[in-house]
Amino acid sequence: MAKLFLIAIIAGTTVAIDSQQVDSVVDIGHITPIPRAEAGIVGLAALRSRVVTVIDASGALGLAPQSGSSNRAVITSVDHHHYAILVDTLLDVAPFEETQLSSGFALGDGWQRASRAIVDHNSSPILSINLRALIPGVALAA
Amino acid sequence: MDDLLQEFIAETRETLEALAGGIVMWEANPSDRTRLDAIFRFVHTVKGSCGFLDLPRLLRLSHAAEDTLAAVRSGARKPDTRTVNAVLAIVDRIGEIIEAIDIGVSLDDRSEDLLIAALAEGADSAVAQASGISIQRAPTRSIRLSVALLDRMMSGMSDMVLARNELARHLRDHGAEPSVEAALERLSLTVADMRDTVTQTRMQKIDALFSVLPRMVRDTAAELNKAVALSVEGANVELDREMIEMMRDPLVHMIRNAIDHGLESSVDRIAAGKNPVGNLSVVARQLGNQIIIEIQDDGRGIDVDRLIINLAASSGQSEAALRMLPEQAQLDLIFHPGLSSKDNVTTISGRGVGMDVVRANIEQLGGRIDLRNTPGRGLCIAIHVPLTLSIIPTIIVGVSGQRFALSRPSIEEIVRVRGDAIRIDALGDTMVATIRKRRFPLLSLAKLLGLPSSDEPPATLVVVTVTGGSFALAVDEVLDTEELVIKPAPPAVMATGLFAGQTLPDTGLPMLLLDAAGLASAGGLRFNSEARAPAGDEKVSEGTPSQTMLIFRDIDGAKRLAPLATIERVEPVDRADIQFTAGQWRLSVDAMIIPLATVLDDVARYFAGDETRLSVLRIADGQTQIAYLITEAIDIVELTDAMIAGRGTGPIAGVATIDGEQVEIIDVHWVFARYADGCRSDTAAPVLLLAGESTTWMESFLRPVLENAGYRVRTALRAGEHPSVTLAMDSDTLSIADATPVIRLRHAVHMSANAGETIFRYDRAALLQALDQCRAGERAG
Repeated sequence: MAKLFLIAIIAGTTVAIDSQQVDSVVDIGHITPIPRAEAGIVGLAALRSRVVTVIDASGALGLAPQSGSSNRAVITSVDHHHYAILVDTLLDVAPFEETQLSSGFALGDGWQRASRAIVDHNSSPILSINLRALIPGVALAA
Repeated sequence: MDDLLQEFIAETRETLEALAGGIVMWEANPSDRTRLDAIFRFVHTVKGSCGFLDLPRLLRLSHAAEDTLAAVRSGARKPDTRTVNAVLAIVDRIGEIIEAIDIGVSLDDRSEDLLIAALAEGADSAVAQASGISIQRAPTRSIRLSVALLDRMMSGMSDMVLARNELARHLRDHGAEPSVEAALERLSLTVADMRDTVTQTRMQKIDALFSVLPRMVRDTAAELNKAVALSVEGANVELDREMIEMMRDPLVHMIRNAIDHGLESSVDRIAAGKNPVGNLSVVARQLGNQIIIEIQDDGRGIDVDRLIINLAASSGQSEAALRMLPEQAQLDLIFHPGLSSKDNVTTISGRGVGMDVVRANIEQLGGRIDLRNTPGRGLCIAIHVPLTLSIIPTIIVGVSGQRFALSRPSIEEIVRVRGDAIRIDALGDTMVATIRKRRFPLLSLAKLLGLPSSDEPPATLVVVTVTGGSFALAVDEVLDTEELVIKPAPPAVMATGLFAGQTLPDTGLPMLLLDAAGLASAGGLRFNSEARAPAGDEKVSEGTPSQTMLIFRDIDGAKRLAPLATIERVEPVDRADIQFTAGQWRLSVDAMIIPLATVLDDVARYFAGDETRLSVLRIADGQTQIAYLITEAIDIVELTDAMIAGRGTGPIAGVATIDGEQVEIIDVHWVFARYADGCRSDTAAPVLLLAGESTTWMESFLRPVLENAGYRVRTALRAGEHPSVTLAMDSDTLSIADATPVIRLRHAVHMSANAGETIFRYDRAALLQALDQCRAGERAG
């Protein structure tokens, strides 16, 4: 069954995000840094009256941290906390069929953890990811 | 009390509804332990609440049912159908009484004896019938809402505040017509008002929990014939309403336990060499991401030996095995279901039962209970509950350009580094700050947080208290004080161990709340909590007696000193809050009116000048307080030299030398005697009884006069009170037995010929004189 996916570029890589995991897509304003927080946590930002924790997904995916200029983010809610995951670009929103990620692809640890399946976008394969896996300090199992 | 009653009714009703299914199940299977426990908890809770709501009928019923159920729980009694029926009849009756209380009708209580008698073992099965009066259920005046809905309301409210701020900013930048500004002003007021209201729907001061304690402690202590002094601290912390509700029963239960089982009778206390009055203190504080409520008594503590013997006897566990347990585990046996370390059962806290219930309640909240037992010296029960949502008074500190909040109750003082009173030294590889001869470990907030810091000596130190000790925290600046709504931060942020939560102040920029204990441990500080002296022993000081004094600039320009211990706080006040009313200058502050004392006699002239920077010292003597008007507070000093007493009486007690300068010390005693309201102690004042037909007139016209003259005015005597004089009209017939003097007042200006001695009711001088004579006569007698 086709589900709605967001196609975005996160940490320089095109990925598909299940729209069910996404509350909204916003532009983040001022970010308050969090001293001593682990890599991947950029800081806190206010989204109207909510405080969201801003996440740079590069760390969780095992990539070098981005000094990206984008302030666009997808908001997801995990265990009653709201997180804003920074994305470089948002490409598309469309329904796709997920196909099983067959074995034999040598994904790095971070990607392995985050990957869910493959979707076919204009006949090029895109990895669909689990946003939860990008958030530090949260157990993967829902 | 009405609020409490409403809450009690709503809660009991709700539990009854939830219990309805359970009752049927228990009826079908009387040996079902979970159902039994649920019903037992219900009657136990009802019993507990009735105690302080003064509902004797419910108390009697629930106590009787609890007895029976306790016997069933302990296995002493078989839960046969008759017992079940009798208990259920009582539960039903409790429901009926609750409904009756709610709509304010009285319910026939004749059959209640029968209900209770039916509980007795082997009683006749002729169970008393339900009262048969069908009571129309009153429409409830409170409703229950889901927390999610309240949360949405709260966040909608914060959105509104932020939108308003933005609008105000735009208007300011672009200029606006006066009419638009007026509209914005009105909007601001409404928004602020709304915000308070919305916040109230979710938050409540913990005072709501604590305000019933004095009455409850007094009643409980009276019932047990014990003398108990209660002290309550931290009532200002605001907590999630949900949390407060859940804490109510456990708190009440533990306090009853403390008075019943913990504190000894006066006789026993004297024999043990203690103060005959038992001390009970209840303290709420916020520590990191927890709220801690400590209930401390100085009674006999838990007798672990007896606990083990009782438990071995009642549960069939081997005594030897229990004795093998580590000390803390032995102490935790107090939470074992159905157990008491006290042998006799009283109406107050039953059989120490309920400690299991209490623990279950607290654990349900995600909290825990710590016990600190000192046999013979007392017990401290600390209830830890997680901070879900709370409003905490904070100060906001700036460091390396970033802002953080620190919980104000954890802050001892804030000092600027200047002058000789404060030194900063290197001690090995660590730093130490010396503030007025007290040494504190010094931590740099910037370094703890890994923020860029300069090598210059810190400008401002915040002395922070954590369990076991204090330390000085170097910050760049102290920016503001604010009451903030604190929410828990996500796990990855909490994992740093440095933060207690996050908040969104009106600036719209998120901010983190620092966790004082986390900072201390990140800084490698280890305080030995054992070394902390118990409260009360702290006043024993060594060496030359010294007194800590506040130096301030008085309104006549002179520097003066006041003892720091008497000063509650120094705060700026608004000129508009000071008014000359009822014969003296008074200050309205915190919804109270307190007298304003000054060194000048002619304050009016001082106020006539356009002095805008006004500050007051809030001085308290434990019962009443006054405000002393000053220009500014300067410093705090240790006064070791003797004071040279002044001549005569007046606002100045004497003079001392501070750095070679003569500085006057104000006479707090004189200031209080002159300015304080109600200097007389309330219990020592003689009682004056207003009697007869015209008490209403006397109440409204005479009461202030009489209270000014130092009487406690009563229209009805309370238990144990004896009037030293009675006031009545000449036409009243009184039935006063004793030789109480009676002063009679008359309506007519002139005394009629044949009447006894009377006083014209508007002749104040004569009345006061007559009262004086009565008092003089009393003293002579």
